Amino acid sequence: MSTFKKRSFFSQKICRFCAEKTEFIEFHDIKTLKPLISERGKIIPSRISGNCAKHQRQLTKAIKKARNIALLPFAVEY
Amino acid sequence: MRSYQSVIILKPDLDETQVDQAITGIEDIIKNQGGTFLKVEKWGKKRLAYKVRKNRFGYYLNLYHTCENTHVAAMEEKFRLFDPIIKYLVVRLEEREIERVLAVKAAEAEAEEESSDEATKGGETTKAGEESKSDDE
Repeated sequence: MSTFKKRSFFSQKICRFCAEKTEFIEFHDIKTLKPLISERGKIIPSRISGNCAKHQRQLTKAIKKARNIALLPFAVEY
Repeated sequence: MRSYQSVIILKPDLDETQVDQAITGIEDIIKNQGGTFLKVEKWGKKRLAYKVRKNRFGYYLNLYHTCENTHVAAMEEKFRLFDPIIKYLVVRLEEREIERVLAVKAAEAEAEEESSDEATKGGETTKAGEESKSDDE
């Protein structure tokens, strides 16, 4: 049941970067990074987003750089 | 000599002339460290994801430049002391990455020229796009 819910949220289980054939994930490309962090500002694990390991590694580095320069939040305060 | 990307956040209350002054100031800093500008992008005023020196907004600059690898620390120190800058990030770019960035820039310039040439055709293409969308529905 729970896995079904997760799948319905991120419906496809294919790496979105492989699908678009992106070789480099730019840290200043917030439009692609924004959907891959949670409401709290956490990085969404590849087991949920469905990204491949290669791109997930690039993605974490990109998000951490983006946080450093205030493009993405470290933590979202409530 | 290596290539770097620097994202720099300037104070939000600068006007255009002050921004240009800041850019020349930054260029001087980089030239003093034996580097050159490759590409400058102004992203403009953006909302920051968190407060930086009590500022909610910041004026973003994106620079691609070269620098002597031994002088990067000195350059960052100068950035830290340069008044209009509130935050900066210097990232080293590999050879192929900087080539890719400059290639993208050239392609964009070409695309802009083409779009300006085909300004009359622009209306037709958007109409065609709308039609294809309605077909999908």
